[in-house]
Amino acid sequence: MILSRLAARPILLVAGLFLALVLPWMIYPPVAMDIACWALFACALDLLLGFTGLLSFGHAAFWGGGAYVAGLVAVHSGLPFPVAVLAGAAFAAVLAVPIGYLSVRLRGIYFAMVTLAFAQMVYFLVNQWRDLTGGENGLQGVPRELFGLDLSDSFVYYYVALPLVLAGFVAVWRIVRSPFGRVLMSIRDNTARAQALGYPVDRYKLLAFVLSACLSGLAGGLFAIGHGFASLESVYWTTSGQAVMMVVLGGIGTLWGGVLGAALVVELNDYLVTAGFEGIGIVTGTIFVLIVLVFRRGIWGTARHLLETRSGGRGASPGDRPPGGAPDGSPAPTEGVGSPV
Amino acid sequence: MKALGRAAVAVVAAGATIAGCAGGPGGGGAGEKVSDGKVVLAVLNDQSAVYADLSGKSSVEAVNMAVADYKAKYGDKAVAKEIEVLSADHQNKPEVANSKAQELYDRQKADLILDVPSSAAALAVAGVAKAKKRLFMDIGAATTALTGAQCNKYTFHYGYNTYMLAHGTGDTVTKDGAKNWYIVYPDYAFGQDMQKNFTAAVTGAGGKVIQSDPAPFPNDNFSTFLLKAPGLDPKPEVLGTMQAGGDLVNLVKQYNEYKLRDKGIGLAVGLMFITDIHSLGADALAGTKFTDAWYWNASPENRAWADKFQAKAGKRPSFPNAANYSAATQYLEAVQRAGTDDPDAIVKQLEGHSFEDAFAHNATIRAQDHLLLHDVYLAQVKPASEVTEPWDYEKILKTIPAAEAFQPTPDSACKL
Repeated sequence: MILSRLAARPILLVAGLFLALVLPWMIYPPVAMDIACWALFACALDLLLGFTGLLSFGHAAFWGGGAYVAGLVAVHSGLPFPVAVLAGAAFAAVLAVPIGYLSVRLRGIYFAMVTLAFAQMVYFLVNQWRDLTGGENGLQGVPRELFGLDLSDSFVYYYVALPLVLAGFVAVWRIVRSPFGRVLMSIRDNTARAQALGYPVDRYKLLAFVLSACLSGLAGGLFAIGHGFASLESVYWTTSGQAVMMVVLGGIGTLWGGVLGAALVVELNDYLVTAGFEGIGIVTGTIFVLIVLVFRRGIWGTARHLLETRSGGRGASPGDRPPGGAPDGSPAPTEGVGSPV
Repeated sequence: MKALGRAAVAVVAAGATIAGCAGGPGGGGAGEKVSDGKVVLAVLNDQSAVYADLSGKSSVEAVNMAVADYKAKYGDKAVAKEIEVLSADHQNKPEVANSKAQELYDRQKADLILDVPSSAAALAVAGVAKAKKRLFMDIGAATTALTGAQCNKYTFHYGYNTYMLAHGTGDTVTKDGAKNWYIVYPDYAFGQDMQKNFTAAVTGAGGKVIQSDPAPFPNDNFSTFLLKAPGLDPKPEVLGTMQAGGDLVNLVKQYNEYKLRDKGIGLAVGLMFITDIHSLGADALAGTKFTDAWYWNASPENRAWADKFQAKAGKRPSFPNAANYSAATQYLEAVQRAGTDDPDAIVKQLEGHSFEDAFAHNATIRAQDHLLLHDVYLAQVKPASEVTEPWDYEKILKTIPAAEAFQPTPDSACKL
């Protein structure tokens, strides 16, 4: 049992890494890059939704903020693209401080609404500040510069950008597994008890919010550099919605679920766009409704749950459950979509 | 690698051509050099969201018509023996447009991308066209940036733009006697552009913009502006609205509710498509003046083409439909003249080219900024009582000649 538990994780990790490496051989490289960026974004959101129990509906502000700042730095300074992307991530983190400070005091639907409101304010600013952002034309002509390397081929860019994406995943993984991550989970499961134990709950939530925003900004920056522009759409609320949908689809609180959800949504969208089918919304909407009604743990969560019940153990979890410490057998607190709200 | 692949394909294509010539009655003749053995035209537009109605899949049909007409016209002498028409839906998302354009050029070997409505998506695709050195003829977007700061050698803007919309209506309506204007515009780039161009046109024609007010976007309540209009001093003779789509619908409904027309304030619209009139009904918009790039019933020639289109698509064409047909036709004609589909040779053929077709009358493609100049119409929406057949919504008040319809000089920011 213990052996299999130890063995399961490296196998998954190696498989994931392998997939990440061969992805642009299997599908069109720009689409592969989109999947990588959205996967990181979904993971970052899952950090908040699945592990802290906060449903943010305003993460477009950080994804889009990162995209615009990365784009602006690349356009105006001509610095190598990783610098621009990191600047985008830093901006997202800084932006998250006041927004998070004001929102984390709220719970459930109120938290979601306040983050949405802040994100819409950012959208309005980006739309109005035309001299800087290009308004609804978007910020066009963002260069991809890295010490004179020719990155115009998306295939090459994917591999150059992949380390940054992977670094983002490692960061999420580390956060979740750290003592800090444990405290987040205890806040998610029982805020009052965490407070009674003496943890400054709001400060923990704020830090989780900022970290999640920072990683979303990183993903957004990579996305903007990859496409060569930042668009108004990236700060619009539909972008927040899409990320939430990816997490729910894949499975809240599973990390892998976000990746899977992102891959599915991006790939499905890409397929339907070319297939000439008009009702893209109908297809994705139906899938979403089915998942929420039938597989409330999401695809990854359901698969893991099935494996767990079949092996009969009390939660021999091969996935991302933190090993040791926490009582493994406790029912997954993130079963339903509704629970974190 | 890629170059090698293309060379190999070229060799194969050349071989096929030689074989074809040996078998056939010697048609074609010298230098048939078509990349990948075929010409690929790709329509990239909105087929599922707000612009699906006015262009979308029906424009793919229009491009198919252009291909059929080209084949019928040249028969054995056609340089492009095999022509493929592709289409993709960008859902109005610039990111999707950007990835799809790359894929169309790279993977599906598209030689030309057509349509691409909404400015952000169009500019994104223009960037791809520049990087890949392939042709892009934009029809659906209105932004003058395509032929301004963001212009490039491989991008053409075909049909209309904000200058033409604002100038056509602003200038003509002012010269026709409505001197005082009140302008309401949506507060985003398109609306602000339109407001600027409109004001310039009105002032240039000797009129005066008494006031222009930005409205939030999107917005469903315009009563503030409509109640204020009659009280302005001097009283405006025309209300110029730059709203489009759903906002326009709301504004027009409320304009009618407040009976501003009876109070002597006419209505001029910045951007309107025939599909808007079709969905709103002629009576809701009756009397409204606007600039149209093309109207199906404006002349017997237009009507003849519209009849053919209707037989295929089951409805009357909007101007983007006709413009897609025209752009595809002019591209294929350029291939025919150049004897190749090499992008640089085609650009050379198109630059400065003057022509006449079902869509574009007295048309020239300006070499300096790749903007298509052609005659456009000042139109007025008929009241329902005068509508004699389906889609018969517009009365053409005036033809605005090509030389006056668009910017007289190319934008100096454009460096091809």
